[in-house]
Amino acid sequence: MNDRFTAIASEARERWEAARAGGREQINLCLDTSSLARGGAETLAALRDAISAKGLNADVTTTGSWGFCWLEPTLSVRSAAGTRTVLYHSVTPDRVEEFVQTVLVEAGELPELALGVVEGAPSDQIAPLEDHPYMRGQIRRLMANCGQIDPENIDHALANGAYEGFVQALDMEAEAIIELMLESGLGGRGGGGFPAGRKWDFLRNATADPRYLVCNADEGDPGAWVNRILMEGDPHLIIEGMLISALATHAVEGYIYIRHEYPLAIERMNIAVEQARERGLLGEDILGSGKTFDLVVFTGAGSYVCGEETGLINSIDGYRGMPRIRPPFPAQAGLWNLPTNVNNVETYANAPLVLRHGAEGWSSVSTDEAKGTKMFTISGAVNQAGCIEIPFGLSVRDLLETYGGGTPGGVALKGYQPGGPLSGVLPAEEADLPLTLGPYRERGMFLGSGGIVFFDETTSVVDLCTYFLGFAEDESCGRCTTCFQGTQRAVEILRRIANGGGRETDLGKLEDLIQTMIWSNCLHGQFAPTTVKLALRYFREEFEILIREKRDPTRSLPGMITYEITSPGDPALAEAAAICPTEAIVDEGARHGIVDELCIRCGACAEVAPNAVTVRDRFV
Amino acid sequence: MAAEPTTRELRDLVAEYEFERGHLLPALIEIQERYGYVSREAMEVLARQMRTTPALVYGAVSFYADFRTEPPPEREIAWCSGPACRLRGGDRIREALQYTLGIPLDGQSEDGAYGLRLGQCNGTCSEAPQVWLDGEVVGHLTVAKAVAIARDVRGEGDA
Repeated sequence: MNDRFTAIASEARERWEAARAGGREQINLCLDTSSLARGGAETLAALRDAISAKGLNADVTTTGSWGFCWLEPTLSVRSAAGTRTVLYHSVTPDRVEEFVQTVLVEAGELPELALGVVEGAPSDQIAPLEDHPYMRGQIRRLMANCGQIDPENIDHALANGAYEGFVQALDMEAEAIIELMLESGLGGRGGGGFPAGRKWDFLRNATADPRYLVCNADEGDPGAWVNRILMEGDPHLIIEGMLISALATHAVEGYIYIRHEYPLAIERMNIAVEQARERGLLGEDILGSGKTFDLVVFTGAGSYVCGEETGLINSIDGYRGMPRIRPPFPAQAGLWNLPTNVNNVETYANAPLVLRHGAEGWSSVSTDEAKGTKMFTISGAVNQAGCIEIPFGLSVRDLLETYGGGTPGGVALKGYQPGGPLSGVLPAEEADLPLTLGPYRERGMFLGSGGIVFFDETTSVVDLCTYFLGFAEDESCGRCTTCFQGTQRAVEILRRIANGGGRETDLGKLEDLIQTMIWSNCLHGQFAPTTVKLALRYFREEFEILIREKRDPTRSLPGMITYEITSPGDPALAEAAAICPTEAIVDEGARHGIVDELCIRCGACAEVAPNAVTVRDRFV
Repeated sequence: MAAEPTTRELRDLVAEYEFERGHLLPALIEIQERYGYVSREAMEVLARQMRTTPALVYGAVSFYADFRTEPPPEREIAWCSGPACRLRGGDRIREALQYTLGIPLDGQSEDGAYGLRLGQCNGTCSEAPQVWLDGEVVGHLTVAKAVAIARDVRGEGDA
């Protein structure tokens, strides 16, 4: 063991223990982006005000997320004696006063807001957190510290195992580290699943210096926020993973490329890098080992293709983020045309865990072909939009029912998108597939980076296709005609179909496009039409009904419906007329009507006068 | 946010940046953070500092969605374009916002008082459908609520 590290870690642990043994109640409030969106900052201010106004013996610390995103702000309260910690949810600003009174002043508990007992004995009213339906079956390794430590305090990370894997790796040869990664079976978490050890070995065998590491934290797939949860919850795990990779590849500098939409993640990664540098864990002669490695946190500027590794490299280099033509591969010519390795946040973050658990211990958690745990975010037509960590292999249906809480209002599931706008869609009948790589590859799609989006029977598949192709069109870098014109053409045809102007020949045209777009240089163009390809396979009838019968079975496509006032005397219509953004609702002598030419089908009137306004098929 | 930058200020602001060290994006981000947008002159000054052409700088500015080439509006609604929002009527909300504000997506009013921008999903999908009003999440929207917000931003209505 490295003596310097032993000293650093034990000092950190002493400070961590001292803070917890202070005879004061400890409140850990989750303050990540989801919590902020639900009033977390106001909750924090109200808590601090109440504690100081009442002179209470309590400290408030902010943490990352437990993953209960739909129930934020969550917070845990650890008793002054340190014997019992309870996690609560939905402590919105308006509930703080009651919360402080009951829990802090009267030393009681609020079972109706409790998620579970984190440490100490459960009671009749509050069960252990691990028995909560949302926690059962989860294996928290990457997320072990999320919600439990202050991500802006390196002492907390060090007291909970941070950098121990790296210190182990310091005593190993580069080949041995790579061997260990290969043995573990750790695959890239960005969607490809390529063995991390092999990728690292490419860089190790590079012939030029200096060489670089890049951490892809661009997480551009809408509906995916697993990397955000990690960066906002435990940034040191990612730094440690990059340090281990640096030892295995002889890289001297690393870049963490974070999308600008994640300002809190950028802030916390910057703080973590700075603190790691102060403790001698980054920079020159790390822990007296003679090794040098330092990190730059690099902010993106709004471009989806920068999530493609060579687009990302061009972006750091100072060019338009257009993916490069390969070869050469980044391991030969990456940043500044020097050897570079690019991995996803979650891939690097797993490296310390492989060191800590050993290859066997790390991989044995999953019986699936894909090894280890995977973080997933669940969103769309679900009751519980949140983030979990589970071994590969759970069925999509179980994910929806157990963790997503089912679909809202019990509307039947129609399908799901396993991983980002390029990954494609599958119907509900395919929801028994396990969450792993193989089954999706077999269907010409991919699992992606962890954002699973569900949709129900109220959704038009043609609308989904228009949406995802429109996204791909907006984000095409413009290099390949097959991609930038292919997406444009596909969107034109899809819009035509969605507006009732579809032609018999349109589906063949879309299929031709799919065939030519595959010639695009990078994954963006190649996979942009996946949603259409799979929709035509699994939901073809919906396209045919639209084209032949000029009818939308979901009655959701704006171009296929009209709004009609069916109860002209309804008093709610005055409000509907007032809210209509185009003044399409006219008063025809105490009776209301809708001027169809003015109506933009936004549906505001139907929201405020649901009993008076009816949606009708436009062409039938 | 400062007024129209002077050449001198711009030069000082970017003096430490070097193209070869991957500083183009950080420099542009700093310029925009300081002035709210990247002016033509800023691109020229930055090109000189980076020993490259304004064309290359403009190439980056036009590629990335975040960079603005005119001063930002005083008030802004950023409409979330993510899938969870789309599935809950997000597109109808966009349509209503455009009509109520009288501007297209990524446009702003002529007097610069308000604007509408395309926002990317950042994983607060439990709030869907949502917009960011001057940077703050307003979630669980209906089209009617969105119209009320837009009227308020325009200085009409009583939302």
